[in-house]
Amino acid sequence: MMFVVRRLLLTIPILLLVSIMTFSLIHMIPGDPARVILGQEATPEAYQALRTELGLDQPIVVQYFSWLGKVLQGDLGISITDRVPVSELIMQRLPATVELTIGTFLVAILIAFPAGILAAVRRGTWVDYTSTFTALGGMSIPSFWLAMMMIIFFAVNNQWLPASGYVPFLENPTQNLLAMILPCLATGLRESAVLMRMLRSSLLDVVSMDFIRTAKAKGLNEARTILGHALRNAMVPVVTTSGLMIAGLLGGLVITESIFSIPGFGRLIVESVFKRDYVTVQGAILVSAVLVVMVNLAVDMLYAVIDPRIKAGKGAGE
Amino acid sequence: MKTARKFLRNGLGVIGAVIILVLILVAIFAPQIAPFDPNAQDYNKVMMQPDGEHLFGTDDLGRDIFSRVVYGARISIQAALISVGIAMLIGVPIGLLSGYYRGFWDEWVVMRSVDAMQAFPFLILALAISAVLGSGFGNAMLAIGIGFAPAFIRITRGQVLSLRNMEYIQAARSVGVKDARIIFRHILPNALNPIVIQATLAMASGIIAEASLSYLGLGVQPPTPSWGSMLNQAQTLMSVAPYATFYPGIAIFLVVLGFNLLGDGLQQVLDPRSRK
Amino acid sequence: MFSTKMSKAMLGAVLGTVLLVTGCGGGSGAGTADSGKTATAPAAGKKVINIGLKADPPSMDPSISTSLYDRQVYASLYDKLFDIDAQGKIVPMLAESYEVTPDGKTYTLKLKQGVKFHDGTDFDADAVKFNFDRNISGEKSRRKGELKFVESVSVVDKSTVKIQLKEPFAPFLSVLTDRSGIIVSPKAVKEHGEQYLNHPVGTGPFTFVEQVKGDHVTLKKNENYWNGAVKVDEVNYKVFTNGTAKVQNLRSGTLDIIDDTPVKEIPVVKGDTNLQLIAESGMGFQGIYLNNSRPPFDNKFLRQAVDRAIEREAVVKVLYNGYAAPARTAFTKGNLAYNEQLNTPTAPNADEIKDLLAKGGKPGGFDFKLYIATSPENEQLGAVLQSMLKQYNINMTLEKLEYGQLIETGDKGEFDALQLGWSGRQDPDQNLHDFVVTGTSNNNGRISIPKLDELVVAARGEMDEAKRKALYDEAAKLLQDEAGYVYLYHQYVLIGMNKKVTGFNYVPDGLIRTATLDKQ
Repeated sequence: MMFVVRRLLLTIPILLLVSIMTFSLIHMIPGDPARVILGQEATPEAYQALRTELGLDQPIVVQYFSWLGKVLQGDLGISITDRVPVSELIMQRLPATVELTIGTFLVAILIAFPAGILAAVRRGTWVDYTSTFTALGGMSIPSFWLAMMMIIFFAVNNQWLPASGYVPFLENPTQNLLAMILPCLATGLRESAVLMRMLRSSLLDVVSMDFIRTAKAKGLNEARTILGHALRNAMVPVVTTSGLMIAGLLGGLVITESIFSIPGFGRLIVESVFKRDYVTVQGAILVSAVLVVMVNLAVDMLYAVIDPRIKAGKGAGE
Repeated sequence: MKTARKFLRNGLGVIGAVIILVLILVAIFAPQIAPFDPNAQDYNKVMMQPDGEHLFGTDDLGRDIFSRVVYGARISIQAALISVGIAMLIGVPIGLLSGYYRGFWDEWVVMRSVDAMQAFPFLILALAISAVLGSGFGNAMLAIGIGFAPAFIRITRGQVLSLRNMEYIQAARSVGVKDARIIFRHILPNALNPIVIQATLAMASGIIAEASLSYLGLGVQPPTPSWGSMLNQAQTLMSVAPYATFYPGIAIFLVVLGFNLLGDGLQQVLDPRSRK
Repeated sequence: MFSTKMSKAMLGAVLGTVLLVTGCGGGSGAGTADSGKTATAPAAGKKVINIGLKADPPSMDPSISTSLYDRQVYASLYDKLFDIDAQGKIVPMLAESYEVTPDGKTYTLKLKQGVKFHDGTDFDADAVKFNFDRNISGEKSRRKGELKFVESVSVVDKSTVKIQLKEPFAPFLSVLTDRSGIIVSPKAVKEHGEQYLNHPVGTGPFTFVEQVKGDHVTLKKNENYWNGAVKVDEVNYKVFTNGTAKVQNLRSGTLDIIDDTPVKEIPVVKGDTNLQLIAESGMGFQGIYLNNSRPPFDNKFLRQAVDRAIEREAVVKVLYNGYAAPARTAFTKGNLAYNEQLNTPTAPNADEIKDLLAKGGKPGGFDFKLYIATSPENEQLGAVLQSMLKQYNINMTLEKLEYGQLIETGDKGEFDALQLGWSGRQDPDQNLHDFVVTGTSNNNGRISIPKLDELVVAARGEMDEAKRKALYDEAAKLLQDEAGYVYLYHQYVLIGMNKKVTGFNYVPDGLIRTATLDKQ
């Protein structure tokens, strides 16, 4: 319990720092939302009037603290350009990205586990070398290029799968899943390569440890040894990598979302930056940082589930 | 050197090194290799399929894609080297000093800032910094470099932390050797291995990051050919000239593969913990 | 540490939250009247038309709207006092007829009777006055600029409104064919105040159901539409920022109409037997602002050199495959001020250009920077222009700026050259005055030619059409000589449509008028 509380307390200064960094950064970008909103219809009077209306002519520090005050009361504010509550915008756009993340992760695991285990079991054989090479190749493919190639093959040349047309899951599950196939594959393939390498190397590390050798000496065959005993213990670095991966995907899916026309969270942030919608950017990045922290926390708690079984275990060191 | 020979025995690592070498050569000798001026437009030869004269076909302004890919190598090499160079220039010294002196600055200023920066989605951080600095290749490099810096700070600092407690370091300190000397002559050389590995992998990421920024509209200015901006352009042509998306992407893939193979090879040689 | 069971429980909690986030949300729109379900598979027999938009329409309130994309949705939600027909001429809509005094200062509008707003209240003169007052003195109104000549609006009787102008203003009716002429329900505004944009109420063929920002707007049939029975049950506007995806969705049937077809996708649309392409000239223009107030373009000869060196026919051919019209003035065919002879491009003459460079003091050529937007299409335009100018040793470097910065740079005048155009309006004044008259809001190039000012301002107050045209001809010629702004081309309206959709009537403003649509 103390562990969790201590961790949560530690994240507060980090979140504060993130919000200050975001605020400073986005205000340093030339141009402001009044300019973007008025576009070519801006007369100097309308521009100044809008700036005042949006509270942009107040000192930066005042703007920051008034935002912070509202956040502490649970109010993320109202989007400058869209005039709807930021929390509503986020709730509309977050599910798509979360679904994409989960889908990508599933694809990654489904490929990485069998491949990684196989490579470890058949270490040194051509199976191993091929899968290592394939993994390194997979890691190297730019996912947005892969996405374009897939669209050309699956959607343009042969109309097998849709290249867009996202609908929320609850509305039309079939269409939703169909639309998710290509994007999750495009991103998942690359992530699977990373996971597979990590799993293989971690399995091999564990396999050479004492207690495994004991098991082997007792007569268990190699495959069962690995699957039965080693796997559990090899999970630690894999869990770390997975955690980092998921945390990274939340904002990193921007380009995928853009190519497949998915109204997602990453795109929300990017579009808001371009529209200079300060309030939405602040809120969205804060939410993103909180999610990252939560994922990291979950990862650390997972160790507690897996770890106690290992006596000479590797700790998750810093 | 023993390390060099060990490296050469690692097949994959060598392949990686060769790929990178080829990339560097292509970049240097681009004018000799490319059959056309990459910016020469020919409105009579718009969107032609690959053929004998135009190996990779032409784009919608009639420019030869092969020549553009060749010149694009220059941007990619620079993207890899400059962005990582900046990241290391910022990250390694901070990591060294922070890890060595510890204390308030280390724990609360440096490490919390690193945590905060890493809680930011990377692409968005690079995007925002890029927008602040203004468009252009140089600024994109700076933005990516700043985005990579936290990782280097973490790795360097981690190494310093484990090294500073070693006996010979403590001995040196007790004898009165100056801090600067200790850091640069004793700690840094021994901390290099993971930094170098991280650098190679970061170079791969740097190329993809430059391509991503170009895709989002920032990055190199037209008409400079960068593989990323070529992909961005080619997206509008996906239905009519799919080959335009193929070649720049393959180029990125090969180069990134090269860096990854190289990094993997180096890891096997330099990292004492890994054995395959 | 805590027990394994406890950890598992906490883990479950974290994962559960994540799943909860995924499952719900994504459909809750702003201000739902019904529970909004965007029907991609319509209920039996229900006719739905799905329209793809290039960008998200930010605001359903015409008083504060500044985005083009809002206007597409307004074509379904709202009616205006006047409208434009296929030839670009003004025709009555909510205003049945009008009279204007010879001095051009007093307009009397006779309003259609028996029209009701979606909330059941009556459309009448009070409603019209309410809207005018809101647009003129409302705190957040962005319509103040175009209505600044209105002195007063008075209700004569339930169906007659009198508008008094401070001075004669020929574009006035044209202003009323756009946002300023849209009449919204006073009751809805009073009820929702600032939140009106999330609960829009008009008199149009469709009523508002919901909007999910960045994704879609859903409207449903107005059963009591005054201008004829509406045949379609539901209209969905869906946002597709990716042009290729938009076309794919048109082909697959998910979309029935798209507001704009990327040029490279035109062969795909034309080659598909289920689709048709409507390609007609729009009302706007694209070109380059030259900064007349500082070197190098404070020098007339250098401006002319750049203007003459560009081969507009080639630009249109390479970038648009002919789906755009070369331009040398602000006016397109169908516009009152259109002058075919002045608008026809001439092929560049190398000797003439060398001569101009010499006169401008730069016989060996010169350098300047052009700011462009970040889209791939814009990049290509920049590259083409660069290549054309290079032949004469005019070295133009390109720099991409994203939209907000582009506008700001233009306003501040911190540029040599900047690529920005205009979507175009019905009246010639709306395409010229604020762009070339000294000190006006869109005159980023800081053009200041006293004679030009005189002509354009006079044309604004001139009620006789023939005299107006003469003034505009003279103004256009003068502007062309001075090369204050480099007109490049008039963009086309490129609407892609499924052949199942019938009843579409093209109007040069590019708006999709849904009242007459039907679907097989």
